[in-house]
Amino acid sequence: MTNLVRLFLVFAKIGALVFGGGIAMIPFIQREVVQHYGWLTERQFVDAIALGQITPGPIMISATFIGYKVAGLAGAAVATLGIFLPSFLMTAVAAGQMVRLRGNPRVAGFIRGVLPAVVAMLVVAAASIAKPIIGDWRLALLSLAALALLVRLRVDAVYVVIGAGLAGLLMFR
Amino acid sequence: MTPDTTDPAARPRVTLARLAALMLRIGATGFGLGMVGMLQQEVVTRRSWLTQQDFADGIALANLLPGPTAFDVAVYVGHRLRGWWGATVSLLALLAPSFLIMIGLSMTYLRYGEAPKLHGLFAGINAAVAALVLSVAYRIGIASVKGARQAALLVVAFGALLLHANLVALVLACGVAGALWLTPRPDGSS
Repeated sequence: MTNLVRLFLVFAKIGALVFGGGIAMIPFIQREVVQHYGWLTERQFVDAIALGQITPGPIMISATFIGYKVAGLAGAAVATLGIFLPSFLMTAVAAGQMVRLRGNPRVAGFIRGVLPAVVAMLVVAAASIAKPIIGDWRLALLSLAALALLVRLRVDAVYVVIGAGLAGLLMFR
Repeated sequence: MTPDTTDPAARPRVTLARLAALMLRIGATGFGLGMVGMLQQEVVTRRSWLTQQDFADGIALANLLPGPTAFDVAVYVGHRLRGWWGATVSLLALLAPSFLIMIGLSMTYLRYGEAPKLHGLFAGINAAVAALVLSVAYRIGIASVKGARQAALLVVAFGALLLHANLVALVLACGVAGALWLTPRPDGSS
């Protein structure tokens, strides 16, 4: 299987499983792209998420970065198409079936079951992402401050990511 | 049942070019969930392309389907306005700006990202991303883990992850468990 086909299939699989918003892609990306295929290092993976966050549009555009890193422009196009295609197809098909779908208790139940799993996966992913910063009290503090800004003050994530980057630059000059 | 906004006589026909222009603008200036608000303002309030109810149906649908909410809503809007062509235009126009920006950022990052001078920048970003992922877990958890059965699923999911369970199997198993035991009652309560 060529790299491009594999890229497409990996990202299409992830795209079909992202319930609860774009961030829910992170555990899958980490498992597949970092741990299984070794396409990115842990650090590049974290940076890919940050790039997706500071770029306008959906955060899942991180897939473009990963595809580009693996196989250049063609890789970027294939990974991007792959991760967005499943939700595109399902949404377009379902747009005409809205009434039936929303009234279906099995569909609602499915999502209710999936979301607790998403929460657990995200907590585990966050712990793994936090590993490099736990040893440094300044970074640990910065992370807690970021968490407070995001959760308590509902500051937009774009500003938190950029602000934390600038704070890091000042800390480690 | 929503009022029938699909009746072509009752609605102005939105050209694909106008749809593309709107999606390009939102894709170039919106971030994450903020794009849903922008879409609502443009599509419902300012241009009356869709009714509020129709748009709200799109959000409900996005919450049932995989994919980023704003992206799903944009595809839904495109499909409601112009069928598959509209959906395709929404897909391409919404993603085009971020795709191009991301290509530029990727090139820059791969050239300069590992520079020692930038160590602090990426260490700080790492701290923020960990917090971001945790904050999303918190938000989803507060909004959607309600009651003993979902709490039990949460515990089971944590246990499975400690044992390095396959993520696809985990998500599907929890979904099936939900479809069996977490269906809403007919009166609308949970």
